[in-house]
Amino acid sequence: MELFDNVMLGLATAFHWNNLLWCIIGVSLGTLIGVIPGVGTLATMSLLFPITYALQPTAALIMLAGIWYGSTYGGSTASILLNLPGTPANAVTCLDGYPMAKQGRAGVALLMTTFASFCGATVGILMMMLFAPLVAEFAFKFGPAEYFAIMVLGLVAASVVSSGSAIKGITMVVAGVMLGMVGTDVNSGVARFDFGFPELQDGVQIVAIAMGLFGITEIIASINHVKAADRKIDVSMKAMLPTRDEVKRSWGPMTRGAGLGSFFGVLPGVGPTVAAFMAYALEKRVSKTPERFGNGAIEGIMAPETANNASDQASFIPTMTLGIPGSVTMALIIGALMIHGIQPGPQMLTQHADMFWGLVMSFWIGNIVLVILNVPMIGLWVRVLTIPYHILYPAIVMFICIGTYAVNNNVFDVYAVLVFGIGGYVLRVLGFEPAPLLLGYVLGPMLEENFRRAMLLSRGSIQTFIERPISMWVLLLTAVLLVWGVWSSLRQRSTVTVVRSPSPEST
Amino acid sequence: MRRVDYRDLIGGALVTLAGAWAVYHSLTAFTVGTAARMGPGYFPALVGGLLILCGVTILIPALLRAGPKPVLELRPLLWISLSVLAFALLVLSFGLVPAVIVQSVLASISDCKLSWRAMLILAGALAIGATLIFKVGLGVILPTFAWPW
Repeated sequence: MELFDNVMLGLATAFHWNNLLWCIIGVSLGTLIGVIPGVGTLATMSLLFPITYALQPTAALIMLAGIWYGSTYGGSTASILLNLPGTPANAVTCLDGYPMAKQGRAGVALLMTTFASFCGATVGILMMMLFAPLVAEFAFKFGPAEYFAIMVLGLVAASVVSSGSAIKGITMVVAGVMLGMVGTDVNSGVARFDFGFPELQDGVQIVAIAMGLFGITEIIASINHVKAADRKIDVSMKAMLPTRDEVKRSWGPMTRGAGLGSFFGVLPGVGPTVAAFMAYALEKRVSKTPERFGNGAIEGIMAPETANNASDQASFIPTMTLGIPGSVTMALIIGALMIHGIQPGPQMLTQHADMFWGLVMSFWIGNIVLVILNVPMIGLWVRVLTIPYHILYPAIVMFICIGTYAVNNNVFDVYAVLVFGIGGYVLRVLGFEPAPLLLGYVLGPMLEENFRRAMLLSRGSIQTFIERPISMWVLLLTAVLLVWGVWSSLRQRSTVTVVRSPSPEST
Repeated sequence: MRRVDYRDLIGGALVTLAGAWAVYHSLTAFTVGTAARMGPGYFPALVGGLLILCGVTILIPALLRAGPKPVLELRPLLWISLSVLAFALLVLSFGLVPAVIVQSVLASISDCKLSWRAMLILAGALAIGATLIFKVGLGVILPTFAWPW
């Protein structure tokens, strides 16, 4: 059986000591930064980006992925104990997790969310194992017009659904595409928008953008707003045991959460944050006792925690099989692969089968490690919460500077970080979410390439995008989303952020 | 005077200007080409046009409503920027250790929660840590100490 062969290949790759080591490092770091509010997933992945240059591509991929899903596990800890989401995807867990902690049930909440996360991840990984090969096979039929259409859909969906105003999200995506134009044009060799800096002829470094926008900007915005925990919390194994009633009430929410999460994960642009919110809303609607929500209902933490982890894993499906990142985090992962000369896409499953299946199998290992990290070792993370931010952030600034420098041994990139950091902060103050910018930046060159190719094939007729059925339906869907998004943001008049979190990065 | 939404007004204006500049630059500095054979200026000009469209869409409604004034937290902005700038300026001419010490002191000033002594201890610890991790561990090519003159 083909799947079985692939699984064995994946296991062999994932259990290679080097990959195993980086998987464990990735998930541990992920949990660590997930626990600390004010240090986002994107910031950490950006910080560790330079390391991936030195690693084998498979190990780099496994580590970055580990940070991503590990942070979702860790994020629930901060949500429950501090009422501050460690990552945006955990924001909705605060609503019922913190009341549970106040009732002295923090241990139960921590254990159960870890369990929920594991179940969600399991469903997500299974989806990936079963569907990724099918999607890849289908994707071989895609021409440049289809790719262009799907990328546009991903970009629009990511900006419309992200928190805040849709039109501003779209603006940031377009600005990101513009930023992606900087550098030498592959077709003609003309250096575009280099402002006379020879360093810019290879394009703006993705590390500089990521470190600036998610590192420096985050720090500037968080300094006066992050507090450390100062309470004693009982996290002994005994305090973690849920009652039988709580276990019984958790199955329904977990099943629905896993379904919702995997569904939203596969859609380009819709990340775990949206999945978690949807799962919470659904539980509240189907519950016979909706008034218990917000007062420490176990359903209110189980559903979103299952959904966000399922979505984390499922979002690798479009990323790996189409090469189209559904979220900014995925854009970073694609960026890391491209540095190693690997272009994710349908051919990835055949050409780099060991890498793909190794990644999938590393998810299993990573998730098991995460359960170990989050249940017996939870006391450690609780203690991490007491590290004051004012000791942490100078260290982060240092890591950003040296890390950026180390990529090319070039001080120019450090100046670029400074520019993006200040720019990102100004944008943030003006109500622009900087995250979609990076997505646009990564997709920009691919978008141009496919647009040019499609137009070349059609001899300059723009109608090619409408004449080809797949591309037409995708673009139609995009148009509907766009109209809906702009309409609702114009009607809203002023922007309302759904949840105020210390690190409001959209994923 | 009628109140307007300054935040979106400024944001929209900045985006529109950036877009206009991009269109102008793409059309004048690069060959545009035809739709079938696009030159390097074709796609950037389109994207610039989209930026103008976005900017105007943000700008116009902002004129018709009142909104919050944008507040920059200047203190962290200034000190963190200085901290990064100091690193970039010092690292090659003075070396890693002095650069990290100056930058971490500058960064710590921005929230004033540490005493001078604690700041220096933190800076020293970070400098040692940075040398161990990046120089010894990862082999980054950087001078530990240097003297430009």
